[in-house]
Amino acid sequence: MLNQRKRLWDAPPLKSHYDAVIIGGGLHGLATAYFLATRHDIRDIAVIEKRYIGYGGAGRNTAIVRANQRTQENVPLYKEALDLWPVLTRELDFNLMFYNCGNLNLAHSEAALKAMRLQTATAQFHGVDSQLVTPAECKALIPALDISDRPSYPILGGMFHPPGGIVRHDAVVWGLAKGASRKGVRIHQGVEVTGIGVQKGKVDSVETTLGRISTPRVLNAAGAYSAALANRLMGICLPISVLTIQAMVTQPLKPLLDHVISSGGYHIYANQTLKGEIATGAHMDRWPNYTTQTSAHYIKHQAEALTDLLPCMRGVKFMRTWAGLADMTPDMAPIMTGNDPVEGYYQDCGWGYFGFKSCTVAGKYMAQYMATGSCPDILLPFDQKRFEAHRLMGETAALVSYSADN
Amino acid sequence: MALSLTCPICGLRNGYEFRFGGADKGPRPLEEGLTPAQWCAYAHLNTCVAGVQLEWWNHKDGCGTWFVARRDTRSNREVPKEDVQ
Repeated sequence: MLNQRKRLWDAPPLKSHYDAVIIGGGLHGLATAYFLATRHDIRDIAVIEKRYIGYGGAGRNTAIVRANQRTQENVPLYKEALDLWPVLTRELDFNLMFYNCGNLNLAHSEAALKAMRLQTATAQFHGVDSQLVTPAECKALIPALDISDRPSYPILGGMFHPPGGIVRHDAVVWGLAKGASRKGVRIHQGVEVTGIGVQKGKVDSVETTLGRISTPRVLNAAGAYSAALANRLMGICLPISVLTIQAMVTQPLKPLLDHVISSGGYHIYANQTLKGEIATGAHMDRWPNYTTQTSAHYIKHQAEALTDLLPCMRGVKFMRTWAGLADMTPDMAPIMTGNDPVEGYYQDCGWGYFGFKSCTVAGKYMAQYMATGSCPDILLPFDQKRFEAHRLMGETAALVSYSADN
Repeated sequence: MALSLTCPICGLRNGYEFRFGGADKGPRPLEEGLTPAQWCAYAHLNTCVAGVQLEWWNHKDGCGTWFVARRDTRSNREVPKEDVQ
């Protein structure tokens, strides 16, 4: 019995027809497949992944989840995503290691505090637990914080969001793949989509490196590669810039950070993993590219920022550094569309660095969208047409600096 | 990240000294008869090319000049003019 290991998902041969084809075996694609199979009884699904599932953003993010975003359109979505972790852990019978340790976001200026006041009010209005805290309360939450006026940017206060925390991202990939596979979803790794066939304004097929698949609906959930794919396969231009974002972990330490901390002023976020490493993410490199190169620039930046906020971390070594790609929109809110410009073509992209925390809820509603053909109310604000109508969402306080205009 | 750019005034410099100014989309469209779709395309839309693209850069922490560079987005390397198809 001990040697009879069963694979979590099957690897059957590619068929010539599926009821739905999903491009991208990342979290959004797998979650959509899982919800289509479990909630809408569409089980004849192919998930087509060019490399292996979880290769991209799914396995490269810093695993932080939270629901304290800025706008009334986004907060309910992320709240539901947060509420789904314990539900899915039970349903998938897979330990996703959801640890709701809470997120502490630090303010280093009056302006940042004012923005947090607005953000906590929005969260509270939508029933999300989030509150302003004083520097002394920050110190009580994380005793190692330096709240004196010694750091370059002294702490003036913070925003504490108790229901957020961290989830093991690989476990989500494996759990969703297992759950979807059990329901009949076929996961095809190492297969690339090379074309989408359209007949009379409707999707009718998908070309892959293993041949043609006929299908009435296809979802582009290729994460950071989805915009380039949409352009190549469908001629669609999207308001997306693909940027590299770097992260790194230190050597394992004794428990030090009981909560996720983040700081917009220092451009860092950090959490302590169950192994004791401090996992910390940086700001993005500000030019579009498809490399996952890392740089001494950000290792130095992370070291300076972490030791400024947490002086006890001086002398601690970084063990490992890596990078992932983020598909950024000008308003830092995603783009979810369907049947546009052709019937049967769906798109879930532009999540930037919020793709992990949103994956389950995006999958849930994209599945509903694909099953019914009509857009669920909660996704209506995320149409790409908002850019043409100059109705950008306020997920960012100011225009972001990688855009051409500033 | 290994990005170095050649500023027309300062020469080859570290990429972190520069600010990216978007893909080169040609001249700004004229105000007269401008539709929201045309403006949106100019202001926001990108082809997200995986390959060589023409793009604006500003030597922010140097001489401050704006210039157009050719860069391969798959490698972050500048591409000489004669290599562009």
